[in-house]
This record gives sequence, structure tokens and C-alpha cells, in this order.
Amino acid sequence: MTTLITGGAKCGKSHLAEKLLDFFDGGKFYIATMRPFGEEAFASIKRHRRIRAGKGFKTIEKYMDLHEIDVQEKSAVLLECMANLCANEMFRNEEICDPTELIICGIKHLQNCAETLVIVTNNVGSDGIDYGDKTNKYIEVMGRLNALTAALSDNVVECVYGVPVVLKGKL
Amino acid sequence: MIMITGGAFQGKTEYMKKRFSYTDNEIADGRSCDISELAESRFITHYELAVKRMLSASIDPLVFTEKLDCEAIEMNEIGCGIIPLDKSEREWREITGRAGCIIAGKADEVVRVCCGIPTVIKGEKH
Repeated sequence: MTTLITGGAKCGKSHLAEKLLDFFDGGKFYIATMRPFGEEAFASIKRHRRIRAGKGFKTIEKYMDLHEIDVQEKSAVLLECMANLCANEMFRNEEICDPTELIICGIKHLQNCAETLVIVTNNVGSDGIDYGDKTNKYIEVMGRLNALTAALSDNVVECVYGVPVVLKGKL
Repeated sequence: MIMITGGAFQGKTEYMKKRFSYTDNEIADGRSCDISELAESRFITHYELAVKRMLSASIDPLVFTEKLDCEAIEMNEIGCGIIPLDKSEREWREITGRAGCIIAGKADEVVRVCCGIPTVIKGEKH
């Protein structure tokens, strides 16, 4: 079972994602994709760790290449988040690349291993601003990636100020 | 008239293509078509950028939008960020918002696409 959670910044996506796995019996893995780079990233990571503490997650820090991750079968995996992962993959070299295929391949790999997969992503294309070529390409890739992931998911939920709006499947 | 909206690259045009099998000459692309073409086309995409071009051509987008009558129109949702510092960007964003409200008001059905998933937010559910 795969659930995709989308929405804007700080809208309660992580909280909902963790809550979905509250009653999961088996092993729980948290894949953290945010690079600890700079003060704000540290603060954000610290905050997420504090919220997650005591919920039984084993944290795997993996900023790229999801397909390399080993998780035990029948476990639950929470991937957070696709927006960071996508930026890490796209801008890993000097030339920007389109990581869509690589990421989708990684997601399919996680779907194969885990019993339950929850993916947190971000809506980034709704402000109409022209950010220049590189960032515009990122917005495009994120849009396509989210649509492809939604197609692979059983449930898709958009979070609006903590209120889950079900777009596909159920909660 | 059916309106299709949502953020950038969410699958709006794909949805429109799938639902209405139109040919390329039935569609007016707001990014590049003649403004006069918009009034005659059955299908319109990127209307938000047509609004931008109307503003630079000193055509009143709201008057134009009031008269618009097509089968389906697609426009990006662009108002969810910070108010732009640039005056013309600010004006575009506001006028696009108002134009969108006019279209949605006239439309029999409004569909919002997110992550490739269409949700009917006004009118009949299919």
C-alpha cells in the first residue's frame, strides 16, 4: 500500500504521514533526504527528529539513489521528502539532469520491499513566478514526478493547514 | 464551458486532451496565439499567459474574458505565493485571479488537477 502526501510548506504533511504509521506493527524506517546543510536545515532536522522520537522509526539518511536502500520485507517506510530528493538528484553535478526515471525506479524498489510506503512531497508550482531556467526546470520535474508517483500510489492526499483532502483512494 | 486549473505541470493539458479529443487547429495556446484567435477557438490553454500578453498590448483582459465563450479553457493557478515586488507582475497576478473568477463563474464545471488527479470543484461529478 502506497500513500502520497502533498501540499504546501508546513501544512502538516509529516505529522499526517507519521500518524498513518502509528499502528503499524512491524519495523518502521524513515528515509531522510534532506542534506544537513546550513543552520535552517539543522533546525528543521532537529524539529523533525524531536517530533519523531518515541514513534519507533529507524532513520536512514539517504540524499540520493533510493534504489540502493535496503529495508527489511514487510516493513513500513516513510520517505521524506521528494522535493529535497529531487533537488539533490537534479543538482548533484554541475550540469542539471532530469532524475525522474531514477527516482521512479527508486520508489518502485521501495514499493517492492515495504508493506506500507508513505511518501511526502511538496506542491511547488502554484505561484506563477518565473524563477529562471534551472528553477523552472525543477518545478516542471517536480510536477511530473508527483503525477507519476500519484499514479503508482493507492492513496493520494493533499494537506491544507493540517486538513487532509483525499484526492485518490482513502485514508 | 469547462475550466481546468491547478498548479504548473500537474497534468492539466493531458487531462483536457484525454477528455476532449481536439485537433491541433482547434486549440489556441495562450503563450503564442494571436489574441483574436482566443475569441474563436473551442479550446484554450495557458490563458494566464494570454492575460499577460493582453496587458502588454493594452487590451483589457477582464472585458475580453467576459466575452469569452469556448468549450474548455485551461489556466494555471498562479496566486499562491508571495505578492511580487514588481508592479507589472503584481498587476498580472491580480488580473489573472479576477479573470479566473469570471471564467469559473461562467463555467458549468471547474476541474482542479493536482498530481495528475482531477477533482471537480464546481458542477457535476463524473
